[in-house]
Amino acid sequence: MRVHDVNFFVKLAGALVLTIAAWIFTDWRYGLPLTLVTLLALWLAKVPGLRGYLKGASLLVLLVVASWVLNLLIQGETVLDAFAIAVGMALRLVTTTAAFFFVMETSTPGAILAAATAARLPPAVTLVLSLTFGIIPMLRDDFERIADAQRARGMEIDDVGFFTRLRFALARGVPLLVQGVRMAHSISLSLSISGYDMRRRRTTWCNVGLTVEPRLPLVKGSSND
Amino acid sequence: MLAEVSLLAPENRWMLVCGAAGSGKSTLMMTAAGVIPRLIPAAPFSGAVSLSGKPLPEFSNDALFTRVGIVMQNVEDQMWDLGVEDVIAMALENRGRPKAEIRARLEIIIRQFRIERLAGRRVLSLSGGERRMVAIAAALAAEPEVLVLDEPTTGLDPEARRRLVSILAGLRGKVPMLLVSEQDPASVAAVIDEVALLEGGALTAPVALADIFEQDAPWMKAGILPPTRSANPQTAQAEIGPEVLAVRGLKTRLRRPDGTPVLSDASLTIHGGETVALVGRNGAGKTTLFQSILGLAKIEAGSISIGGDYADDWTPARRARQIAYLPQNMRRILFNMTVREEVLFAITAGRPKGEGDGDKADAALARYGLTDLAEANPFALSSRQQAVLGLACAEAAGSLVAILDEPLLARDLNGRRLLEQFRDRAVSEGRAILLITHDLELADDIATRALLLDEGAIAYEGATAGLWTSAAYQKLGWPGPRAIAEGEVNHARP
Repeated sequence: MRVHDVNFFVKLAGALVLTIAAWIFTDWRYGLPLTLVTLLALWLAKVPGLRGYLKGASLLVLLVVASWVLNLLIQGETVLDAFAIAVGMALRLVTTTAAFFFVMETSTPGAILAAATAARLPPAVTLVLSLTFGIIPMLRDDFERIADAQRARGMEIDDVGFFTRLRFALARGVPLLVQGVRMAHSISLSLSISGYDMRRRRTTWCNVGLTVEPRLPLVKGSSND
Repeated sequence: MLAEVSLLAPENRWMLVCGAAGSGKSTLMMTAAGVIPRLIPAAPFSGAVSLSGKPLPEFSNDALFTRVGIVMQNVEDQMWDLGVEDVIAMALENRGRPKAEIRARLEIIIRQFRIERLAGRRVLSLSGGERRMVAIAAALAAEPEVLVLDEPTTGLDPEARRRLVSILAGLRGKVPMLLVSEQDPASVAAVIDEVALLEGGALTAPVALADIFEQDAPWMKAGILPPTRSANPQTAQAEIGPEVLAVRGLKTRLRRPDGTPVLSDASLTIHGGETVALVGRNGAGKTTLFQSILGLAKIEAGSISIGGDYADDWTPARRARQIAYLPQNMRRILFNMTVREEVLFAITAGRPKGEGDGDKADAALARYGLTDLAEANPFALSSRQQAVLGLACAEAAGSLVAILDEPLLARDLNGRRLLEQFRDRAVSEGRAILLITHDLELADDIATRALLLDEGAIAYEGATAGLWTSAAYQKLGWPGPRAIAEGEVNHARP
């Protein structure tokens, strides 16, 4: 069984439990092992895009620690206490974001649709859940596709300094916005022509339990239509 | 786009609408299916469309799209990141059909389309042709009464086309109305009763396809290549120059679901002045090949040289300044705010504009008839105009090799003229063209040399004329490039 096939709601519940634990046990001595175990689990599960996430998380840790330490020092805390509180906060944020990153990266919109449908959630909720958790990886893929388009048109975005790379990344905002609008249009069109109706309960083709069936098992030797 | 168009499609008379790229076929198909103006506004819009005598506006969305299935020219416009089974089952799931019924239908459809190997995959990870087959399978899953297919064979390899036509033929008696638009009438002729031609925004009265199929004049008048025309002699025999691109022993990191590399040992060489066609089955790895050449897909082994220089350590951008890539869907690589900026970008690759670059861009726009659109947003152009813009960009960039991936312009007269103009200029300047195509007639017409990609390697490399009789090609079981004109394949409806 792949971790990707685990029911979306099971993953979501796991992420919530982890998040609650992180925010209950605020001391960095509890937070550090919890964060490390969470990141180790992501690595073992071969979650796609983990390297990118770790870069972002490192930046988050730096910013949080720096701003909190400064703030706490101004408020009169000792350096050691300020660091302990700031690191604890950063670890809580990393655990929380890592848990939801895991849910997002390992749950396809189709698997979320199936899980929500099998849970007999109203169609509106089903759609909102699928899009909320599904759209971010889709937009990230589009961001990468735009970067590849820029490379394929000869724009040097790899062999340049950090600030130039950052400027080029920001320049992808406009095409990403255009692509985001197009994606929304495609989803809306696809739902309309396939008869998605907020007032009607939908069904799903796949078997859903603790896992969501990832593919239809085809019976060998079955005849064609 | 369309003016005073009237079309009456009687039950059980399957109809084909033919016209050049940009003639308004897609607009007509979407209007007939009720997508325009209901889901995609088109202003100004006047006129009426009815189904079984009832005006379309009187149908609810659900009622209309239960009866009508549509597959658009750009299938990406009606797809999002779902699995293959999810896409096919979507219409049945949304209508609350029981699970057992959906699973049974899914199995039938997947086997009928012979897409078993795609089961469980995400549609956006499929090749263009595979994606189109899945979209058509999805449209058929709900058993609509009216099936509207806009350019259904685009991007399909000859075997997939044959399979599609056979599936459509099997729908006789089950689908009362099939409305197809195509630039290539031969590809679906075997299932079509009548044809209407779009010319200058107007539609001719439908006639029996068999009555005009073998004539040249009606098709030429509509601006498209006649389906039974004879071979077009090569017109650009340029002097073969030095090697501009060489790929040796390429093995990709990207693997197929069974664990084998998409490309295991691909080698090819292209010289200046050559027009080389690359053919292969849907999913053979053609896209992966050019992505590897450009450095966008990671390779495990092999080497690439560009312009005679070892390029393995070049960044993708450095490679792309020598190799222009033009996908069929140009939207994938456009990101500037005006047409002129796109051409300027092709020249400067994002570096500061030099003296004369503006003039060079304007000249390229003028050669391809885009001067009036210079300040337009590239995303506001039609697919055809975007394809022409791609040619203008590649020409302005003066790249050593231009990779044309399934060019949209190939089947209409004006588009073919622009394509030949592009080729003539490129080869006369010692540059080369790599044409990735399933249009065997196009390959036969304009390519001096051909490559066949099969089972992860180049199975044939040599003169185009020799490809059709080679063992590697025979193994595919495909018809020859002029199978219909030469009577090898029967186009008539049984």
